[in-house]
Amino acid sequence: MTLKKLLLATTLSAGAAVPGLAQEDFPTRQIEFVTPYPPGGSHSLHAGIITTAAEPHFGVSLVSVIRAGGGGAVGATEVAQADPDGYTLLFGDPTINSLRPQVEDLAYDIDDFVPVARINYSPAIFVARADSPFSTLEEMVTYAEENPGDLTYSSDNLNGWTYTVFELLKARSGADMTGVEYGGGGPAVARLLGGETMAYAGDISVVGEHIESGDLVPLCVTDTERMEALPEVPTCPEAGYDVVFQFWRGAMAPAGTPPEVIAELSDSFEALMEDEGFLRLIGRIGSSIQFADHEEFAELWASEVEAMAAVAEMTGAAE
Amino acid sequence: MLADLASGFQLILDPVVIGVALIGLLAGLFVGALPGLTATMAVAVLAPFTFIMEPLIGLPFLLGVYKGAIYAGSIPAILINTPGTAAAAATAADGNAMARSGRAREALEISLFASVIADFLATIVLVLVAAPLAAVAIKVGSAEFTLLYALALTMVAAVSGDDMLKGLIAAALGVMIALVGLDPMSGAQRYTFGLPVLLGGISLIPLLIGMFALSEIMLRAEDDLRTPQRSPKMPGDARETGVSLRGFRGLLPTILRSTGIGTSLGSLPGLGAEISCWVSYGLARRASATPERFGKGAPEGVAAAEAGNNAVCPAALIPMTVFGIPGDTITAVLLGAFMAQGLTPGPLLFSRDAETVYALFAFLFVSNVLLLGVGIFAIRYLQHIVLIPANLLYPVVAAFCFAGAYAVNNAAFDLVIMLAGGIAGYAMRKTGMPIPPLVIGMLLAPGLENSLRQALTVSRGSFDIFVTRPGALALLTVLCLLIALFIWRGLQRIHQAPSKGKTS
Repeated sequence: MTLKKLLLATTLSAGAAVPGLAQEDFPTRQIEFVTPYPPGGSHSLHAGIITTAAEPHFGVSLVSVIRAGGGGAVGATEVAQADPDGYTLLFGDPTINSLRPQVEDLAYDIDDFVPVARINYSPAIFVARADSPFSTLEEMVTYAEENPGDLTYSSDNLNGWTYTVFELLKARSGADMTGVEYGGGGPAVARLLGGETMAYAGDISVVGEHIESGDLVPLCVTDTERMEALPEVPTCPEAGYDVVFQFWRGAMAPAGTPPEVIAELSDSFEALMEDEGFLRLIGRIGSSIQFADHEEFAELWASEVEAMAAVAEMTGAAE
Repeated sequence: MLADLASGFQLILDPVVIGVALIGLLAGLFVGALPGLTATMAVAVLAPFTFIMEPLIGLPFLLGVYKGAIYAGSIPAILINTPGTAAAAATAADGNAMARSGRAREALEISLFASVIADFLATIVLVLVAAPLAAVAIKVGSAEFTLLYALALTMVAAVSGDDMLKGLIAAALGVMIALVGLDPMSGAQRYTFGLPVLLGGISLIPLLIGMFALSEIMLRAEDDLRTPQRSPKMPGDARETGVSLRGFRGLLPTILRSTGIGTSLGSLPGLGAEISCWVSYGLARRASATPERFGKGAPEGVAAAEAGNNAVCPAALIPMTVFGIPGDTITAVLLGAFMAQGLTPGPLLFSRDAETVYALFAFLFVSNVLLLGVGIFAIRYLQHIVLIPANLLYPVVAAFCFAGAYAVNNAAFDLVIMLAGGIAGYAMRKTGMPIPPLVIGMLLAPGLENSLRQALTVSRGSFDIFVTRPGALALLTVLCLLIALFIWRGLQRIHQAPSKGKTS
């Protein structure tokens, strides 16, 4: 361990002395890209595409490692405790990196990670069943006010993204609604379609098809701008409630990873994001790229962490 | 629809597609037969490679892997009492007992034929009535799921062997093991003792490998120490006979029943092959005129478990293709692979990509024929594994135990779970405590807990939800009748026991 650090320090200082050398010395072996969720979700799907196309841009292969458990906490803890040498990266998101460490007692902290690169982000879309008694956000809140607690909605996981946007809506509107966590987007939408719940808010990859088929009605998107794919759907602030929370996907490294290594990784991700084959595959799963390099991402992330602290306070989730 | 299917066959009956599917099938067989390498893992690892293939090359390959792996889990279950996948745990009970009495080939053939027939019939259901069946399945709510899980839990009674008390203790242990980890609704830590590795709970597969395989090795080693140089016990001749036509005809009712169970459970998101195999096994035992043969080498046991788990494969594709809702992790991975090919499963899939979808349906039939051929060929060689001397075979199996337990999650802690499972399994077998109830308890507890809590959240704490919904009420009635039947039979046995004691 010490020897490794010493060696790393030596190579890095040598790299600083001779420009370009550091880039040749990192990476020298495969990099593990850890997805903290079970296979099959949108995260592991993105990870599969990223790791398939990564090698030409990283010089070494990026290996997709799936470490599910504890709603992401197990994988995140492992990466937080890994050697900070750039060879272990977490495929992070706002839930495990910004919100949950503030509201739950986890084995890692927010500052156990440093941001490397943001791949993309997407807003949640509030949806209701086509035969439900409301078809706009305003009507939904009115319904909830008139029938306190009767309005049931699906969400994926406690303190997850789809859960938090409803917490935000409840905090902003003061309406009383009953949430049920189903453990994932699939079952959450299934119970909405089956009539057990009345509303949901989730990613376009989960609700898009059902909006297109007319089974679900979109109410608003949790962003400050409308979505390209759904231009007629208002943003939540436009619809009357300031509920803005984007779900990003990005690479995080354990705190203590040398800045040169972070910069090198960020550059490699940037090159990958311009790869045509990669973009074609990302397009096929209905996703897109909104890249942010390590510096821009660090700023965005810092302000999000602050915003999440406010959310935690507002929704009373903080302990 | 038939015209669609016919053009589907035209697209799929292509030497390249068949070749790729065959490779997938063989890869699946290999992975499924090795304990610890699960079908989910294999499909998840191989899926990204198919992203760059043509849809009608990549998807048949993945579906081949899926089918091969689900079937192959039964091979080590029969031969060395070690289920290759969790879905084959019920196969081990009678399959291995058959192999030990010199009927390995028969057991392997029953498993293959039952798997293929069940898969074939379930595929017909998928093609003909996917949409209406999915429309019914989506109406099934948390209250019904709760009762379905509770009904499945009564299967503990069928797999407890002679001693119901020990069976119930084992089932309770399984439930308690399943509680470890994060509370799914409040996020509170349960029995984690502050250890981060326990946050994700106790992994089922390493534990199963320990309980079944490692304990088996320990028992064999112990036997060997007591009676050294014992040649492998093989009554009868090495040239075993396969299953007879007449014998197999007798299994058909069991296979049909189990296919029905597998298809129904598979079309409900959340209830997978792991649960279906136990329910089929339990019901087969209950329907049998000679239930006491179960666990001691009953061919019906093998047929029921294998038909039950293989029928789930096509059935799980029903909610996936119709609603884009995956039923289990493996269909979730397949869903991703479909999406990466630009085929978004969901309500619009059939109108938008009918040609590809029907080609894939056609492929499901073709793959069954392939599996049958590959299986018959493989069994000719595999049956001889039981003839390998134990002192050569079991060290290799032990190595696979460690490799497999680690491979599931790439976690060193899973090795600890596997070892603990091995010791616990050894102790349980020594004391006559059955292992299957523990597995069932562990499999069903999370689903039962989640759906109960979901149902009660929806009803805001009122238990009325279990009687006001017609589906729930029907299930509740069946559950109450079943429990009443158990109690009645138990009382009968207590009354009979003393009189029997006098006469003998």
